[in-house]
Amino acid sequence: MMFGRSKRITPVIIAIEIFLLAVVVLINLPFFWMLSTSFKPKPEILSYPPRLFPSAPNFNGYTYVWKLIPLGRYFYNSTVVSISIALSKIVLASLAAYAFAKIRFKGSKQMFYLFLGTMMIPMEVIVIPNYITLNYIGWLDTYRALIVPFVVGAFSIFLLRQFFMQIPRDLDDAAEIDGCGRLRYLFTIIYPLSQSALLTVFLYAFLASWNSFLWPLIVTNSDKMRVIQIGLKALQDSWMIEWNELTAASTVATLPVLIMFFFVQKRFLEGIAITGLKG
Amino acid sequence: MGRRAQIDNLHGWLFISPAIVIFTVFIFAPMGVAFFISLQKWNMLSPMRFVGLANYVKMIGSDHFWNSVRISMLYVLGTVPVSIGLAMIFAIMLNTIVHGIAFFRIMIYLPVVTSMAAAAIVFQYIFEPTFGLANYVLDVVGLERMMWLNDPNQALVAVVIVGIWKRVGYNTIILLAGLQSIPTYYYEAATIDGASRMQMIRKITIPLLSPVTFFVTVMQIIASLKVFTSIVIMTNGGPARGTDVLPYFLYKNAFEYHKMGYASAVAYFLFGAIFIFTLAQFRFGEKRVHYQ
Repeated sequence: MMFGRSKRITPVIIAIEIFLLAVVVLINLPFFWMLSTSFKPKPEILSYPPRLFPSAPNFNGYTYVWKLIPLGRYFYNSTVVSISIALSKIVLASLAAYAFAKIRFKGSKQMFYLFLGTMMIPMEVIVIPNYITLNYIGWLDTYRALIVPFVVGAFSIFLLRQFFMQIPRDLDDAAEIDGCGRLRYLFTIIYPLSQSALLTVFLYAFLASWNSFLWPLIVTNSDKMRVIQIGLKALQDSWMIEWNELTAASTVATLPVLIMFFFVQKRFLEGIAITGLKG
Repeated sequence: MGRRAQIDNLHGWLFISPAIVIFTVFIFAPMGVAFFISLQKWNMLSPMRFVGLANYVKMIGSDHFWNSVRISMLYVLGTVPVSIGLAMIFAIMLNTIVHGIAFFRIMIYLPVVTSMAAAAIVFQYIFEPTFGLANYVLDVVGLERMMWLNDPNQALVAVVIVGIWKRVGYNTIILLAGLQSIPTYYYEAATIDGASRMQMIRKITIPLLSPVTFFVTVMQIIASLKVFTSIVIMTNGGPARGTDVLPYFLYKNAFEYHKMGYASAVAYFLFGAIFIFTLAQFRFGEKRVHYQ
């Protein structure tokens, strides 16, 4: 039987598995190519036919890039910004999610839908006014510009609300009888119970922030404030840059996220399937 | 209103107030401001001048604008059917196999979590016409070499391939979740009735999966309308405006030519295009299956 629970191993299934293996090898070829190229000596990056592996792997690409641009600084900026956003999203989104899940207040339904509505407005459409606002208050080229607009998000609120709603009412009531205030209840009782949901929010937020491009491209212009994705763009625009150096920088920009994803992929993929809302 | 209800009201609004502030300042107000700016002539240096709908009129009369609309539509038409079709095939296969499902799910998803800027740089190298991997593959299979990013039409093909590569994993995972939510007894009943595999896919899987398919299609269209990073890194909209998609056109007008009013008009056009598909999802996609 094909779809039932008790799948039997048939030649067709083995063939499909082999085919899928070929598919994922092909899909991940660019990663292999990025790594391989980053360790190649210069002549081999322009050789034809292309060499699969470097004949004598070296770190020249990495050391050169490190000298050419402040890659460490970019990396640090990306880390600071992404962690700040992810942590503040946990706190601020959980406050709102708690209100929507556990407090009966006037207009909560309308506000919830209004919040969800923000997900329908693409960044591309509001970059100009936001740029003007930040220019006006003098925030351009600061951490604040990179962080503050993203400290809370409808997607995080939605995800946490779904989770908080599953926490039984009895627990809320018990806490109330014990005279436990709402904030204390949220931070000392709900947080420990919601670790997986909070982690999911953290991961999505970190990833989205680490990979974001359009916004940091617009609001930063100094080396001191540049994040790593924009650093890649700057590097690409610079003179006399070679592919082993570009791929070395790309590897540095990609690896943290890929490693993180490997550790938490299960939670991550489940989150996507449950919400089906954002990638 | 009782004291308890008053406290609840106060707490509720207090708890959501940080979100209200952020959303108002950075999302709701900018929507209004964008429209206001779209009615002005403004380069951020000299004072604004009200011009009514002149920016919209100029936009509709501009060949460059319509070129961008055309390129964006071609990009959507290039990425959506292929990435959804492939994802459907992969998802059905993943739902069939026995070994390594978790492994395949992870590996197929890696491009989705990768930074587009980094990936675009690697793809630029892959599409290099003289020694790139893409042309090497064409050589090996005995097909004619291509100019890829150096040719206005082929450049679009290249960025479309990158777009498909980036999103196919996301579509696959969502479709797979949809497949797993189809109760197995449909298939059991069909097996008893002697249905073939292809018949089951056609008569059970595809119809029951349609709400999920609709959802990923809409998401894919919206994502494709917003494509930006790969264009900036790989082509800068060229050659000869061959990859000048709407978001890039908007960006250039706003942040390189400083035509804030005109760019805001383009932004509203883009918003309208995306909004149509968002509404379609809300209107027709309501009965989305419940995953898990």
